[in-house]
Parts: sequence; C-alpha cells; structure tokens
Amino acid sequence: MRLDPVLVEIMSHKVTAIAEEMAIALQRTARTTYVKEAGDFGTALATPDGHFFAYPKVMGVSGFLDSNVGPTLSRVPDLRPGDVVITNHAYLSEGLATHMPDLHLIRPIFHDGTIVCHAWDFIHSADIGGGVPSSISPRFSDNFQEGLQIPPLKLVKEGVMNEDVLALYRANCRTPEVNLGDIKAMLSALLVGERRVKQLIALHGVQTFLDAQADLGEVAAQKALAVQKMIPDGSWTFWDLMDDDYNSKVPIRVRCTLTAKDGHIHLDFTGSDPQVLSAYNIPTGGHRHPWLTLKLMHFIFSHDKTIPLNHGIFENITVNAPRGSVMNPAPGAAVGIRSATAIRLNEALVGAMSSAKPGVMPAASGGIMIPAVLVEEDERTGDRRVMVLQSLVGGTGARDGADGVDGRDSSLANQRNTPMEKTEEEAEAIITEYALRPDSGGAGMWRGGTGVVFQVKIAKAGSAVLGRGMERFVFRPWGMAGGLPGEKARVVLNLGTPDERDLGKLDIFHPEPGDTVTIMTPGGGGYGDPLERPIAMVVEDVRLGYVTPDAACRDYGVVIIDGELDEAETESERASRRADRDDDEPVAAFGFGPERAAWDALFDDATMVELNAALMALSPGHRPLRRRALFEAVVPRLAEAGPVPMDEVIGDLSAARARLDTEMNKLRAALSATDAA
Amino acid sequence: MSDASYRIGIDVGGTFTDFVLAHRTRASLAFHKEPSVPGDPSLAVERGLAALFASHGVRPDEVELIVHGTTIGLNAIIQRRGARMALVVSKGNRDLLEIARLRLPSSYDFTVPREAPLVPRDLVFEVSARMRSDGSLITPLDPAEVDALAEQLAAAKVDAVAVVLLNAYRDASLELALAEALAPRLPDVLVTSSGTIWPEVREYERGLVAGLNAYIHPLMTRYFDRLESRVAGKGVTAPIYITANNGGTLSLKTARERPIDTVLSGPASGVVASTKVGGAGGRAKLVTFDMGGTSADIAVCQAGVPEFTTTTFVGDFPLMMPVVNVGAIGAGGGSIVWVDKAGLLKVGPLSAGADPGPVSYGRGGTEPAMTDCYITLGIIDPATFLGGRMVLDVAAARAALEGIADTLGYTGAPGGPDRAVQAATAAVDVASAKMATEITKLLATAGVDPRDFALVAYGGAGPTHASLLAEEAQMGTVLVPTAPGTFCALGAILADVRRDYVRTARHTIGAVAPGRSGWPAIAAIIDELEAEARAWLATEGNLVGEADVSVSFNLRYGCQAYEIEIIVPPAERDGIDEAGITERFHAEHDRLYGFREDETPIETATVRLGVIGRVAPVALPEPDAATPEPRGHRPVWHRGAQVRAAVYQRADIGRGAVIAGPAIVEQLDTTTFVLPGWRAVADRLGTLHLSREAAQ
Repeated sequence: MRLDPVLVEIMSHKVTAIAEEMAIALQRTARTTYVKEAGDFGTALATPDGHFFAYPKVMGVSGFLDSNVGPTLSRVPDLRPGDVVITNHAYLSEGLATHMPDLHLIRPIFHDGTIVCHAWDFIHSADIGGGVPSSISPRFSDNFQEGLQIPPLKLVKEGVMNEDVLALYRANCRTPEVNLGDIKAMLSALLVGERRVKQLIALHGVQTFLDAQADLGEVAAQKALAVQKMIPDGSWTFWDLMDDDYNSKVPIRVRCTLTAKDGHIHLDFTGSDPQVLSAYNIPTGGHRHPWLTLKLMHFIFSHDKTIPLNHGIFENITVNAPRGSVMNPAPGAAVGIRSATAIRLNEALVGAMSSAKPGVMPAASGGIMIPAVLVEEDERTGDRRVMVLQSLVGGTGARDGADGVDGRDSSLANQRNTPMEKTEEEAEAIITEYALRPDSGGAGMWRGGTGVVFQVKIAKAGSAVLGRGMERFVFRPWGMAGGLPGEKARVVLNLGTPDERDLGKLDIFHPEPGDTVTIMTPGGGGYGDPLERPIAMVVEDVRLGYVTPDAACRDYGVVIIDGELDEAETESERASRRADRDDDEPVAAFGFGPERAAWDALFDDATMVELNAALMALSPGHRPLRRRALFEAVVPRLAEAGPVPMDEVIGDLSAARARLDTEMNKLRAALSATDAA
Repeated sequence: MSDASYRIGIDVGGTFTDFVLAHRTRASLAFHKEPSVPGDPSLAVERGLAALFASHGVRPDEVELIVHGTTIGLNAIIQRRGARMALVVSKGNRDLLEIARLRLPSSYDFTVPREAPLVPRDLVFEVSARMRSDGSLITPLDPAEVDALAEQLAAAKVDAVAVVLLNAYRDASLELALAEALAPRLPDVLVTSSGTIWPEVREYERGLVAGLNAYIHPLMTRYFDRLESRVAGKGVTAPIYITANNGGTLSLKTARERPIDTVLSGPASGVVASTKVGGAGGRAKLVTFDMGGTSADIAVCQAGVPEFTTTTFVGDFPLMMPVVNVGAIGAGGGSIVWVDKAGLLKVGPLSAGADPGPVSYGRGGTEPAMTDCYITLGIIDPATFLGGRMVLDVAAARAALEGIADTLGYTGAPGGPDRAVQAATAAVDVASAKMATEITKLLATAGVDPRDFALVAYGGAGPTHASLLAEEAQMGTVLVPTAPGTFCALGAILADVRRDYVRTARHTIGAVAPGRSGWPAIAAIIDELEAEARAWLATEGNLVGEADVSVSFNLRYGCQAYEIEIIVPPAERDGIDEAGITERFHAEHDRLYGFREDETPIETATVRLGVIGRVAPVALPEPDAATPEPRGHRPVWHRGAQVRAAVYQRADIGRGAVIAGPAIVEQLDTTTFVLPGWRAVADRLGTLHLSREAAQ
C-alpha cells in the first residue's frame, strides 16, 4: 500500500460518503418514480481510467459496481473542466448503459489541469421514446425500436449547457419535463461530487487522493482474492435455460464455464445462444461487466462483509463473452429486458461456482421479477390508467445451513413492493390475494423459499393485465445437493371456478369484469436431501402452512394426520425410501426437475455447443431464425411447451434424436457449402 | 395543598437510571444517578426518589410532576419478549408480515436473514369482511365467522390481538365492529384496531403500529402499574407523565393505551433538551451528539425544534409515525478498536459495553475500546473518572493498544508519541472520520451546510470526542451543557405534552375548476383532527396550559409519484387556507426542483396534526459569573504532538468564563476536551460554547 493503513481506512469512509452524498442529492431531487420508489439509479466516483473506486453502500442499484466509464469517455475527445458527458448507448458505451431508458452522466474532475477522477451517475428515466410508453417491450427486435440513442457526447461544455442536444432529446421522449427534471438532479449530484472531491484534495493533497484510489482497489482485490481461493483449481461448466425467446418457444440457453487457478477466476460464456430477435440481449461490450459478475460479487461480499465496495473486487476475474452471443450482441440488437437474461445467466454462474465448491452458494431463486400491470379505461372518455399492481418475485433458494426466504428475492434488484391499499387507491379492481404459495419452495434438508400467489379481481370493462419478465413457466428453479426444484410459475384465469384456465405467460390479457387473474410465482430450489430435514422442522412448516400435509408426506416422508405427527409411520416411510435408493448412485448435485431432464436428454451440451458455434457463421439476424427452424423441426410440438409436459412435447426420444441428427447434418452441410463458396 | 413546585425527570438507561430534580421557579437543578435494576426498572426509580428526597430535603407532597422515560417497550421489541399475540387480517392478506415490503436487509449479502415476523403465521387469522378504498363495503362482517374467530383466539391463548383490515385507514368502523364483537369473548385481551391507532394508508406499516402496540401493551401495563404503586408508596401524589417518541410527554393514561408512542422516547428527550439549552445560548441550528457506552446518536434541529421522520425503525420494523429523527452513527466509548485481515484499523461495531467494558476498567476486557484511547492520550484522567469512583488501569489500556500498534507496524517516534499513543491517535481519527461522514450525509439529506450548525455534546463520551468530531465535520461550534450525563432526564421535564394525528386524504386542490376543489373536505379534516386532539388534551391533566396545533400536508402535483411535506407551524395555524397551502407547495417545489407549475392541480395524500399542550416552563439555573483557575495541568496527545492542557473543574466555571484550549474540563459525569486553537465560553446557563479561534 502507498498510504498509512489508517489513512486508507479514513479515505475509504470519505470517498464512500461522497458517493453516498451524491446519491442523496440525486434521490432528493429526481422526479421519476423509478428513482423515488424503486431506487433505480446510481452514483459513484471513478478512477481516471474509468473504474469505480467509491460506491454507495445502501443507496441506488447495488449491481453496477463493476461498470466502466472508460470506453464512453474514450469516444469524447478533448475533455475539459466543466464538461459533462451523456450517453444511453448500449454499444458505444460498451455496456455502461445496458438499456436505453438508463441515462448516464459523467463529469471529469480536474486538479491542476489533470483528470483526478470522474463523478458518475445514472437514472432509469421514465421514457426515451420508441415503440411503447416507457420504452421497454420484449417484442422489439432491434434497438432502434427502443427509443432515442444518445452516443457519448458533451451535454455540458465547460459549464455551458448544450441546448441543441436538449432540444433533440426533448423532441424524442414522451415525458420531456419529467426527464429534464431528472437530468437537472443528476447534474447537481455530479456537482456535489466535484465539490466534495475538491475539498478532500484541499485537505489531504492530490497525491493522497490518487494513492487512496489505488490502495482501496488493492485492499478490495486482496480481500476478494482470499475469498475466491475458496474455489479449488479446476474448470466447471453449467448451463441454464430461459423458457423461450419471446418469438417462439425455443428456450434461450446460457452457459458458463468457470475456471479457477490460485483464486483467479475466468468465466467463459462460449456455448451460450446467439443473440435473439427480442429484447433479451445483454450488451456487455464483451469485457468484464456487472451483469456477468454479479453473483461473484454476492459470493465474495457474503463471505467477507468488510470488503470495500470498489472495482478491486473484480481484479482477479476475467471473462470471455463471445461477440454475437446473447451476452455480447452485435450493435443493433434490442436490449430492453436484458435483466431477465441476466438473472438466468447469473444462476448459471451460481451453478458453476457450486459445482466447483458445493455449499458456497444458495440453490436457484424463483428467478423472476414481474411488474404486474393493470390498465383500466374509462368507457366514455377513453382515458387510460396504467398502474403497477405489484412487483412479483419468487422465493430465494435454500443454502447449506438455511432455508430460503419465502416470497422475497434480493438476488437481482431487491425492490420494495406496492402496498395493496396504494394499488386500490388507484384501481377499481380489488386485490383479493397476495400471499405465500404453499408447497412451492423446493424440498430439501433446507427448504427453498415459497413463491407468492397474487390475485386481482377485475372491475371495469376493457381492462388489461400485463406482465413482462415472466419466466420459470417451463423450467424450474433448481435444487442443490439432493434438494428438489421449486414449483413453476402459473397464471390462471378464474382459479377455483368451473371456467378456470391456465393462461400461460401473460404478455397482455383482456379479462372481463368479475374475472380473477391469479399469478403464482416460482419457489426457490431446496438444498440437501429432504429426508434429512429434521422431522420437527417439517412439522413446523406444516403447522405454519408453508408445506401442506400431502407434500410433507410426498417430499419429506413425514406423515401428519389431522395435524398430528405419526412418528412410527414417518420412521418407516423414511426408512423405506432410503432403502429404495441405489447406494452407488451419488447424490445429484442439482435437482432440475423433469422438464429440464427431458430437454437435456435430447439437446445435450456437446450438440448445443456445436450448434451455437456453427450458427456464428451466419449474420446476427439470421442466427435466431435458423435456430428456431431447427428446434421446431426436431420438436414439432414445441409450441405446446409449458401447459403440456416437456417429455410429452418431445415425444419419442430416439425419433427426436434422429431428427436432431438430420437437422444438424443439414446445417453442417449448408455451412460448409457456404464456406466452400 | 402544599406548594408543589418540584419536577422530577427520570431516564432509565442500561447502567444507570438518571434523575433530575428541578424547582419550577427557583431555578435550581439537582442530579442523581442510581444503578439500574434491569429485572425491575421501577425499583431503581423508587430507590432514586428516596435518595433524591433525602439528599435535597424535598417532601413527596412538594413534587408537582414526575416525567419518566423508559426503554422497556423498545427492549421488548428488540429482544422479542412481548405478548403472545394474534393478528386478524382481511382474507387474502394472511402474509402481510411474512412478505412485508419485499426488500431484504442486504442487497449484497445473502447470509443476512430476513426479520422474524412479529406474529407467527399460525396466529394470523383471516376474516372475509372487506372494504374498498373509498370506505364502501364489499363484504360485511359475518357473525358466524366472528364466533369461530373468537373461539380460535381463545383457544390460542393470546394476550393481545391486533386487527388490520385492508383500507381501514379510510374508515375504522369495520375493525371496531370486529373488535367490539370479540371483546366480550376475550376478557383481559386488548384488541388494537389499526384504523384507530394510526389511520394512514399502507397496510404493512399501519399493521405494525397496531401490532407493536398490542405486542408491548400487556408488559407496559404491568410496568406502569408497578411504577405507579412504587411512586405512590413513596408518598408522591403528583401525576406521572411518560416521554414520547415525538419529543413530547403523555399522561400515564394515554401511555397505557398507546405504549407504541413511547418506545423511542429516550433519545428524543435529549434532543428536546438540546433545543432548549441551545436556544438559551442563541443557537437554533443544532446537530445533537449523544455518545454513550455502546453507540453515538445524532439528530438535526434546523429551527430550534427537532426534525421528525416517518421512516424510522424500531428493532427490525419500520415505524411510520412521526418521531424525532435520531440516527445511530457508530462508535461509543465501549466500541472495540481492531485491525482487519487487510491491515486496516476499524472501530466498532462490536462494543465492550459496560461489562466487561474497556480494558482499563479491569473487568476482564481484553480488546481496547475508545475509552482506553482517551485515557492513553491523556484526555481522560484515570484517577478522576466518574469522580474517582472507578480507578482505571492505564497500563492495561496501553498494553492493549500496543498490540494494535504492533499489528499496524507502528514503532513509536523517538521523542514523539510511543506505539500506544500512535494507535490511540489512529483510532480516534478513524472514529472521527466515520462519524463525520455520517453527519455530513445527514445534513446533505436535509440540504443544509454543516458550517451553520453547532454540535450539542452529551452522554458520557460526547463532550470528550465532540471537538475532534466537529473539526472533522467542518462544524465550528460545540455546545456542552452543564450536566451532559443526565441530559435526557433533563429533557423529560422540559418537554410539553404532545400527540400526533393523521388522516389519509386524497383530494385535489389548487388549479381546479370552480366548485371542484377538495379543500372543503381538507378543511373539515383539519377541524375534525383538531377537535379530536383538543378533546384528548383536555383529559391530559391540569398541568397542561395553552394548546397549539401544527398541521402538515403531504402534497404532490397530479401524476407525480413523489410527495412534498408542507409544515405549517403553530403560529400560522389560523392562516391555513387553500391559497396559502398551494402557494407554499409551489414555492417549496420550486426550491427543491427548480420549477413550479401553478396551473397544475395539487393532490393531497395525508394530513397530519400535532397538538402541543404547553407545560409551564422550568426556570433553569444561571450560574454566577466566575473566572475559573485551572486546578492543574497535564500533558495530552493531540494529532501526534504533546500539548500542555490546563485542567478545570466544571463547577468552577461561571457565566461568561472563557477558557483557552488546550484545556480539559472535568466533572462527575464526563470530561470535555477543548482542542488547541479552540476556546470555550460559558453562556447564561453555564453551557460551554467551544469554538475555533479566528485564524490569526
């Protein structure tokens, strides 16, 4: 270290406080609900080369710590004191902006003519134009539909606002006043940062300030490396599936190979799917990126709570995200709902980490984040009210030593929900249920957290219910170390009535007055052998209603009759199940459930890796089309996946396998013909 | 009736129960510290009263008022030792406490558990009775269901029940009907209705107000009974008031009904005392700094009155009621100094507390604490700590700090500080930096400049560390009251009676078509709240004099998601009208966001009303003018250099006295450090104003 350790500790508090004070200033004066309610904003101080060395502990989005403002600034020549750079461009910022409503501002801070750091902030703005209000829809197939793209440019030049940019911006979003208010708030937060940095330099000197940046990074790197060394040397591969790519029922496959050596971790995403023609692509610029390393950060921080929050945490992590894949799409791909893919991708990372060192991470969480939205229309005036009914998540996965959390999930955004009473103030519809979903948590020695059941009773004609980010309708949140997967998600119309029917994933649905729409979110995966769960804990789960008596018997071998434990029956039930097991068969590291088993039996990893590599020979736009054609040829009933069990959708495995071979051969031939030509 | 003019303030702490005895007119104050009795806090009250009466020759019938602050309710919530209780909710809302507000405590650390729910899931019962948000009924109460519920509750053998029905903030009648139907079936069980106790929208937070009130009710009732009988046993006939979260006090009768109003009162009393003492010294902009054994708390007062918050926590639970905004910022005198794996020096969060306490207490503590640092630096004299009641072991403190120094690689400077002093200096610097950043952030949240504020230091360690902190936080002035160790007890007898009321009121005012304004409804709500508040105040006892009300509104422009609070102080109560409120809102919006939209209608969200019953003020003593002579000098380490500090006795310092730093002021309950380059001036009440000398 360059500085006295006491000074490092003091500087650590001071620079963090600057980032937090910026966050306070931003949150206090920003206007959009995304900032006020959901906390979808961020502030930080970056090193001269663009990495964050000061980041708020509790305010704003926790996940963007590994961002890099360097590529953005490299595209803006001749930075001067008083300049502020703006961008929302996913590609030219190389993944600093990850979807278009996120506005990023950067203010270089100078001392004696040299840049000593940058103040950065971002907000999720209310609207940036494009095909739908709020600018996000899964159906967009390119990012020109997602709104106004702002390449890195100077919004403020030496203290003077660039009014031309503002005029252009104003003309291209639906809520210019709200957005301009937010930009003002962002600018003033940057000024707070600059003022505080200058005070700090006046007090401690510029060299101490620069040394502190370096030292803090080193401390974080050193601490992170110590945690990373928990992972033994070796290489592990894990993949996970999103239910579909929106345009078809073809799942999106994300694959991660983790290689560890002396604590250094390399993540290789080769074998993941090519970019898709919907808004699920994650723009990362192909380098280390917050969406690619989020779960590593959670892993490191959970195992050392004293680690300072800065880029040093990621110092000993490298990545390979192939160009043209869903986690590094070519410019032009739509990115609005990259978070849905990022959740699944990070679960693949958890799977790889857990393969390397079982027990260090929890089983899969519910893995969804659904803003359930209701639209009510006034029949006469046509005025529409659009309101978020509830932010729906599943439960968290169980881990070695603890059950998952029921009905909550911090794994991606850790948002707050909307009080039912606030919803009912806005809507005429009535919320008839918002409760835990019994039996949805994956069984295990440690039980996965349950999902929730959310039901709305429609009041007005012409209402619509929407929910984007609906996932885990087909493939379950997996269990670990013998734990069972969590229950899948469902959406049901008029549950418990004669006209009950499954709606599958909601995009937009138009119910009638009096109808109920029920959304059931997935539970987290279980951890460890359910038969090892102490009987008393199962009895307690039943008494409290997290588990029904039927499931207690089915999943745990615990027999409860009329609320009373039947000890003898339980003993014999558990004993006979243990006896039935094949002693030679190792405990499954992961419990995926029947859907994934059926899918993987047909589409094995080697074939999928070859397929995705082969598709890379095609243009980005043609990859998903070719891919879809192949899957639909191999599984003709694919469109029925979800309501119809996967093994039934696939049908006879060997026949499907034969079709796959045929299709792969066709593809190989076609591509080699192209190569030859 | 005799001339009852004495008031007694009592604040129960973990180690000591503090007493302040004041005569209303004679401007006399006396203090007493009685060891607390954790198993029966009222016993320490009884003993302390006896001691006070004996040593000051006061007769029980000369007491006109006892004001008491207690942490029993808070501790019961934190330690989960409250009632076995049930929660009754609307059908479909059974998991109100399980799901809570969805957010988990940490976004980074998956090992941080969620809070345990206040009521376990099997003691949460649903009823189908249901109301819309406009107060209209969807499903009425079903007598058969109520019967079944009563049986279930009786069978569950609960001591308390909270009823939290959806939309009851709008109209509590459904909850009340249910409570009334249950009452005769559940003798000796208090049923709390959420819409009655705090009718504000948001079912989880309102449910917690009702739930926490029910949870601590049986326990608090028992305590108040015991307290009342012990005080009466001493021959005292004066009424007992209980300090409240909002910095006011409540009659024992109200406190019994609404114990939730008292759970955060201890720190609030210190802030109240700060405003009174600061005001007497001509300072209205204050940051209070209460540094005790385990933690340091701060609060901001911008205009001579404490700032409130509606987003505080009680243990694991958010509390939506307005309370004095006191925040913990870290280290106390017992906070442990340690070095982490990366070689960085840390202070806290672990604390040695009072037992074993710092190493120098010689009670088995092995890790150095902040107090050990003050002793090593010479700021605290080990021989005179607590008036010499406890002799401290300097050698042990130094040895422990040498261990820290060795880990940090400190070797001592020839002719300068040795290793122990280096480590102690570093620890003090780290603690100051950490606390200063918290103060800076708190003031930033309020959008104000620290240089305009004075730091009011109290608690055992507050005056010791205050100037060091003030320097770090760029605050130019520190106030040290005459008795910093019993400051919260003093605050108790300086407080007025106060209670807050709320209504959720969604209306549109301002730029709306003629005749469409919701103002008449708002005005009616204010009148209704005021009538309710004044009627309550009339039952609060004879001590209450004039009553004031302050009104506040949460407002927003239509279509905005965020609200701004507009507070109308008591003096302007009569001037509240639609034009005035809309203008205040436009102006405040302009101040915060840089623009106003006079043509946009304004939506109201909540109306709050605070009623303040003035209690005849206590005259505070004014010490005679006196120029103190130092009782001696001793070396003190400051910023790595040794300085020769004059040592004064606080009792010697009269009004107008000026002391130049470096100096140490000793008194029974604390030690004040006046830094080199600072000076201290005693004001009319003897409060020391420490400030940096103007630059030469």
